[in-house]
Amino acid sequence: MWEVVTIQVGGFANFIGSHFWNFQDDLLGLAEDSHADPVYRNQSLNMDVLYRAGETQQGASTYTPRLLSIDFQGSLGSLSSRGSLYNSAPSSDPLHISTWTGDVSRQVSEPHKKNLFLQSLYEEELEKSTSSVNGTHKFKDEELVECLQSGVQFWTDFSKVHYHPQSLYEVSGLYVDPEDFNNYGIGKGVFSSGLHGEEITERLRFFVEECDCIQGIQFIVDDSGGFTGVASDFLENIADEYSNTPVLLYTARSPGSYTRPVSRNNSILRSLHDAISFSKFSSYCNLIVPIGLPSISKSKATTTLNINDENLFHCSGVYAAALHSTTLPLRFEPPGPAVESQYVTGALDFNRFVTTLAGQGRQNILATLDVAMPAPPLTGNLDQHSFLESMYSLTPELNEDAEDFQAVESMTVHGALHAGGNRASILEVKDSISSAYESTSTRPLFSHLSAALCPLPIPLPFPSMFRNRVSQSGLLLDKPISWSQSKSSLDVHSIPMAARLRSSNAVLPYIEKRLGNLRKLGIQRGSPGTSLLRSWGLEKEEVEDMGEVLSKMVQALNPRLEESSDSD
Amino acid sequence: MSLRVLNPNAEVLNKSAALHMNINAAKGLHDVLKSNLGPKGTIKMLVGGAGDIKLTKDGNTLLKEMQIQNPTAIMIARTAVAQDDTSGDGTTSTVIFIGELMRQAERYIDEGMHPRVLVDGFEIAKRATLQFLETFKTRVVMGDEPDHEFLKMVARTALRTKLYEALADQLTEIVVNAVLCIRKPEEPIDLFMVEIMHMRHKFDVDTRLVEGLVLDHGSRHPDMKRRAENCYILTCNVSLEYEKSEINAGFFYSNAEQREAMVAAERRQVDERVCAGNENNFVVINQKGIDPPSLDVLARAGIIALRRAKRRNMERLVLACGGEAVNSVDDLTPDCLGWAGLVNEHILGEEKYTFVENVKNPFSCTILIKGPNDHTIAQIKDAVRDGLRSVKNTIEDEALILGAGAFEIAARRHLVNEVKKTVQGRAQLGVEAFADALLVIPKTLAENSGLDTQDAIIALKGEHDNGNIVGLNLQTGEPIDPHMVGIYDNYSVKRQIINSGPVIASQLLLVDEVIRAGRNMRKPS
Repeated sequence: MWEVVTIQVGGFANFIGSHFWNFQDDLLGLAEDSHADPVYRNQSLNMDVLYRAGETQQGASTYTPRLLSIDFQGSLGSLSSRGSLYNSAPSSDPLHISTWTGDVSRQVSEPHKKNLFLQSLYEEELEKSTSSVNGTHKFKDEELVECLQSGVQFWTDFSKVHYHPQSLYEVSGLYVDPEDFNNYGIGKGVFSSGLHGEEITERLRFFVEECDCIQGIQFIVDDSGGFTGVASDFLENIADEYSNTPVLLYTARSPGSYTRPVSRNNSILRSLHDAISFSKFSSYCNLIVPIGLPSISKSKATTTLNINDENLFHCSGVYAAALHSTTLPLRFEPPGPAVESQYVTGALDFNRFVTTLAGQGRQNILATLDVAMPAPPLTGNLDQHSFLESMYSLTPELNEDAEDFQAVESMTVHGALHAGGNRASILEVKDSISSAYESTSTRPLFSHLSAALCPLPIPLPFPSMFRNRVSQSGLLLDKPISWSQSKSSLDVHSIPMAARLRSSNAVLPYIEKRLGNLRKLGIQRGSPGTSLLRSWGLEKEEVEDMGEVLSKMVQALNPRLEESSDSD
Repeated sequence: MSLRVLNPNAEVLNKSAALHMNINAAKGLHDVLKSNLGPKGTIKMLVGGAGDIKLTKDGNTLLKEMQIQNPTAIMIARTAVAQDDTSGDGTTSTVIFIGELMRQAERYIDEGMHPRVLVDGFEIAKRATLQFLETFKTRVVMGDEPDHEFLKMVARTALRTKLYEALADQLTEIVVNAVLCIRKPEEPIDLFMVEIMHMRHKFDVDTRLVEGLVLDHGSRHPDMKRRAENCYILTCNVSLEYEKSEINAGFFYSNAEQREAMVAAERRQVDERVCAGNENNFVVINQKGIDPPSLDVLARAGIIALRRAKRRNMERLVLACGGEAVNSVDDLTPDCLGWAGLVNEHILGEEKYTFVENVKNPFSCTILIKGPNDHTIAQIKDAVRDGLRSVKNTIEDEALILGAGAFEIAARRHLVNEVKKTVQGRAQLGVEAFADALLVIPKTLAENSGLDTQDAIIALKGEHDNGNIVGLNLQTGEPIDPHMVGIYDNYSVKRQIINSGPVIASQLLLVDEVIRAGRNMRKPS
């Protein structure tokens, strides 16, 4: 019951997703590991929300993400699109072709080599299946971390998760360079062309049919390229087919997409891409969370993390951690009838989660994502409200200073520590967060707090990016212990996390920019983008309607503007 | 060259270089695909970067898998894929025809001829060939009872280019019967009403036609029956899930129990009205979800229930079993129910299949493909799609074209002997180039069969000069009468190839300059 289906569309979305599932895989592994910190054994997390149990034709049971991932053909690197679990031992020689008696010609493309990390996973599995006890490890963990640090090319290179054969869909026959697949228009027809849409919706149906009662769909899309065109058609289809199922959309933008436009045409193209993608998305989902800063290393994150912006493997890790934390309350085990759980509090279901943020008052469907990674200690010599101040936004194009007395928040804190390094109890977290709220000047109208005891485990294939003031359990030390390189997952085993989704008028610049561009470039008489929009299959009326919708969003958030703009 | 000034990174190719780039790209694509053609062609095994294997003999699939980058090749590939989308076949033929047109054109251009003149000749030849096609086609009267023999011949011709003979012949029957099953008088044929389902199970020869429907899911309750006979089928689109999770919560029903009670009450009413104590069973097939409490209620009432059926299966079920799909329990009447003689569940690992069979007067059916592995299944699926399209085309065209190269030889003869004379000046050479390019089909067929191309073509030409319409026997290289051995192609497919090939070839020939904005511009420097 209460299943969530996850959909990842496009390159950066899949990088984020890959980290996300690594976290889940680590939680699953630690829960069964008798040597692990006991906090992991009583997570009170229902993993069935995200995972499905299955069985191969040979009768082996499987536990795989309830995931549909869509990307370019060839983006899976050394991973087969059928995953690795369900491949039956080849009953017959694959070179023997039973359906054709004529000639066979082979065309072999250059194989992608498995990197050290994937090789070590593979050998671990082999050992497990041959049940040889304590085989000597050929690979040192340091080597594995090192090989990932700079050598990640595909999102599958650092994934330690087994995927279901229905999960990975490669879009073939596009006839464009991935580099040129960079705007809404170019991806527009892909979903409806050939059998792509058919196959994609079939796969989604496969996962939904298994759900006893699906609570929602979390959808991550790479917002910077042609996959927005694919995703918007897919979302339209979902809104139509699963009309009562709420959809939470993360629009993720990779740092690489923020390069300066090379020409005027290019800049028009990008502005319209942003405007059209956003307004298409906004009509098909219940909550949108834009993520992806132009340069995350220039944000407040840099006090605790040493991030290489250029490296997708690095920056996607931060976003994945934030996603994990925000959606954690959807998986909390429901509390017993009378007793308060000592492990989790503040369980939410998908629908309440979404309506809390987007359904009230202003019906603002755009939320921002803030995070503190790792979260600072709850108590101690630091003064209290710095806990909230330590959070920084992962949503771009915000007015960070906006004051909004109607803001609504949903905050998740898990694995919080005291200044001394002891784990804070749920009750203590609740108390200190609410007192932190009381002492701030801009208190939100409404805030929901979810808390869990269990911290975020750092899986081995997580990039080495912790500054050395982060201790092994994620405690922020005032003084670094020693000078060294960034710490890796070998030095930092888990971290406390705080993340919140916030619906406020801070998103005004984000919408206004898109509305402004749409008006200036697409709607006004003689505007330069009209022909471009037409080539994307958008007629004038439709574009005007989009403008209308966006301007209503702006007005809802900024009532003062409404009065002044009545004149036009 | 002013572009250089505007954008120093742009690559500019001059006229002759551009032309040769186009010609080479077209020839390159032609060379890759030509070995695919015909029943003696080569199957291609593509091994991907992760070591996964794809097998295909389908030009369309191959073009999609090849990750083509050359802009000219992309243009040709798009045309060929569009060909497949509209008429269902002929991808390979389109590509090799375009390639051959370009090769013929190259000969003349190297001798100093202007591409414009050639293109004019192509245009004349194209129109003449299309006219000739009208006189050449074999009419097939469809009426109420279509001629099975003709349909089988065309389906067999298509299938034998994808599968070994025995299997192709077995599928011929299946494919023809499937299309005839869904055909309704005076209505266009909707091939989506033939469901293509596959099971990784048993062998390719176990592929069969199911009159009725096979669904790729089963009931989700341990106590529901796995097999039932004489079933009334309710097809509906009603959410049977606890409403709390959904957006307009608490609008109609304040809790799940109330909802179930309502459903159960409805069921009882229908039960009483319809079956009045006989041994009929009920099956509910729902497009929306059904949660466990609702499944419980249904199981206790002895009803089999399936949730989240494909949208298209709602339509198919009604066509197969009768009744109508209902969108709300309030609309429920006994007339909404369809009927099936047998509903049966089959489980393979985690995959479940539900067979809805023994229906009366079905207008929808399922081709159930079986095979020991994914390759076999994919191969058969490709072939079945082609076969279905060829039968549909035949019924809609009410015409067929003699195959095995017979048409191409005849059309060439017509162009050279009749049409060329009527053309003034050098455009004649364009007509001749076009005529020679047509021969690429029989030539490639002969080549793929390991025959001597020259001998085969000369023999065919000779027979045609004597007034015999013959094609190529791929076993012996001798001329044969395609009708006697039952080799027919689709009229609309041929027409489309002749139409689109020269258009693309002409565009590629008339190119003046190729300008490619430097790709590097995009990267931050």
